[in-house]
Amino acid sequence: MKFCITGVNHRTAPVEVRERLAFDAANISDALRDLKHRPGVLEGMILSTCNRVEIALATEDGAEAARCADEFLAENRHVEREWVTPYLYRFADRDAIHHLFRVAASLDSMVVGEPQILGQLKAAWSVAREHGAISGFLDALLTRAFSVAKRVRTETEIGSSAVSVSFAAVELAREIFGNLKNTTVMVVGAGKMAEAAARHLRRCGAPRLMVTNRTRERAAEMARQWDGQVVDYERFNSVLPQVDIVITSSGAPHYILTPEQMKKVVEVRKNRPMFLIDIAVPRNIDPAVNKVENVFLYDIDDLQRVVDSNVEHRQQVANEAEQIIQEEVDRMLVRLRAREVVPTIVSLQEQLEAMRAAEVARMKGRFGTLTPQQEEALEALTRGLINKIAHGPISELRRNAAEPDGEQLLNAVRRVFRLGA
Amino acid sequence: MHETGVLWLRVAAVLYSVGLAHAVTVVTARRNTLFPAALFAFYTGVVLQIVAVVESSLALGHLPVNNFFETISLCALIIGISFLIVYLQYRFSSLSVFIFPVVFLMTLIGSMETPIASWPNTRLRDAWLLLHVVLILLGYAGLLLTAVGSIFYLIQERQLKRKRPSALFDRLPPLATLDSLITHAMSFGFLFITLGVIAAITWAFIETGSRWIGYPRIGLALLTWLVYLLMVFLRATAGWRGRKAAVMAITVLCCAALTWAAHVGLRSILEQ
Repeated sequence: MKFCITGVNHRTAPVEVRERLAFDAANISDALRDLKHRPGVLEGMILSTCNRVEIALATEDGAEAARCADEFLAENRHVEREWVTPYLYRFADRDAIHHLFRVAASLDSMVVGEPQILGQLKAAWSVAREHGAISGFLDALLTRAFSVAKRVRTETEIGSSAVSVSFAAVELAREIFGNLKNTTVMVVGAGKMAEAAARHLRRCGAPRLMVTNRTRERAAEMARQWDGQVVDYERFNSVLPQVDIVITSSGAPHYILTPEQMKKVVEVRKNRPMFLIDIAVPRNIDPAVNKVENVFLYDIDDLQRVVDSNVEHRQQVANEAEQIIQEEVDRMLVRLRAREVVPTIVSLQEQLEAMRAAEVARMKGRFGTLTPQQEEALEALTRGLINKIAHGPISELRRNAAEPDGEQLLNAVRRVFRLGA
Repeated sequence: MHETGVLWLRVAAVLYSVGLAHAVTVVTARRNTLFPAALFAFYTGVVLQIVAVVESSLALGHLPVNNFFETISLCALIIGISFLIVYLQYRFSSLSVFIFPVVFLMTLIGSMETPIASWPNTRLRDAWLLLHVVLILLGYAGLLLTAVGSIFYLIQERQLKRKRPSALFDRLPPLATLDSLITHAMSFGFLFITLGVIAAITWAFIETGSRWIGYPRIGLALLTWLVYLLMVFLRATAGWRGRKAAVMAITVLCCAALTWAAHVGLRSILEQ
């Protein structure tokens, strides 16, 4: 079996590309079905967040896993393969496991250490499971990935120094407004990221929070949690002049704020500055809005650059985390190989047991009825013999499973004991 | 202008000075509390000015537009009446930040047609002029801070717009801090320069009677004050920030520098 991961992330592809490749709740089911039924595919999973779109595939040995993933992305997202190829990265087997663990531990995130990615990965896993796209191998791998992420979080400082997108947003808001105690924040769309950003701004002293969302219940829930005020989605535009910081993360397929609108808003605000944070992919705010005077628009990639500019400390912490990942990948490989040698060990034991049983039966035929004591002694003797014989090969198999020559040893044992193909 | 007419005019000027105080509080403290008082004083001032014009017209037999002083006074009256009409029609009260100081200064100048006094002694005369210089210099300091603050604001704004944080990014204060620095520097600068201009006008008036108004250098000084007032007005009402505000501040600073240069040797000319 082969395992590979193909995808794009914030480093390899700009937001324009990522938004074209992104999957959403509406089309993920069809996509998983499509993926699962491609020739050679055993298991598959799709992870689609603002910063990355990744396809994880377990395929039959003969299949070209990487090509299969490329084709799937291009065909399912209706883009040219030639267009998307330059943005893609591909990892296979060991590297793919390594990459998966890094993603889960938030080492590959735009903001290293931000906690949201783990939740997103878990969601992707459970959706794939619901659709039967995941069985033994990917399931085991992802379960392991989650515990690796947990280990990294508890053993390093990565979580505490983690400055998520929301933190970067707060830093920027401070560059504009000084402190936040006179600012009003509005959240458009009630996504996870928006919620995190709003929470952060609120904690950093922003006294007023407004929430608007297409479904009012969701907005009401968030408003209740953060002591905010619900605004009707239809009329949120009219409230904008009162708002200093706007966070958009709605699933709207088109721009919900345009330069013309913002010009009017700023005029009503008498040119007081406004900070717009667009963390939605596809983007909610026309990028041209940044050209409007006294409006500062940052999309998710812009926030990344701000974060990048002071990553040094986090880089050190990340190095520690990388070591843990390295360890865990090795351990995972041992487990996986151990899984591979299990059938051999079982059949070796079965073979020896069958031989023993046959020999004991032959012995009984020759000597007639045995006393219970004699029978017991014979059983003990023969069992002891086969266990001693099997002990060497089995422990060698287990020990060398993860070594480069483990495969050779496996084949040798199978041949020596005639364990069949 | 007729004797009592001048008296009415001077009282009107004093009343208009409440409007000036209103403009200064709006800009410095961002409070509108003085507006009712200023508006009442303005109404009264306009009435008194009408009385002055009517009296003079009766005495002269025609409208008093014989010289600059009479003309500027009439002009102030017309601006004042226009403002009141606009205000009553549209309730456009923020315009008062600009109009009140202008009308005040024009009326003040208009009321200085006839010499009223001579210096009791030379010491007061020199101290008066010294006061003028100190006030103006304080005003210039405020203006310089305004211009520097505006340029920093511009830089910080550009950096935020370009989204490429640099080393400088960390050292510049937040936009809001710069904004408040600019507002305060500009307001105090304006207050001092206005007081300085008033001191200068009264000094020149006592020193030379009506002759001073004819000097273009003084015209330049008044123009500078007017441009400064315009900046204060645009900032207080339209909230001009960023590039526009920086250009404006630098313009005012240049005007101020020109005025200063033009003042070299002015005293000796006036003292002749």
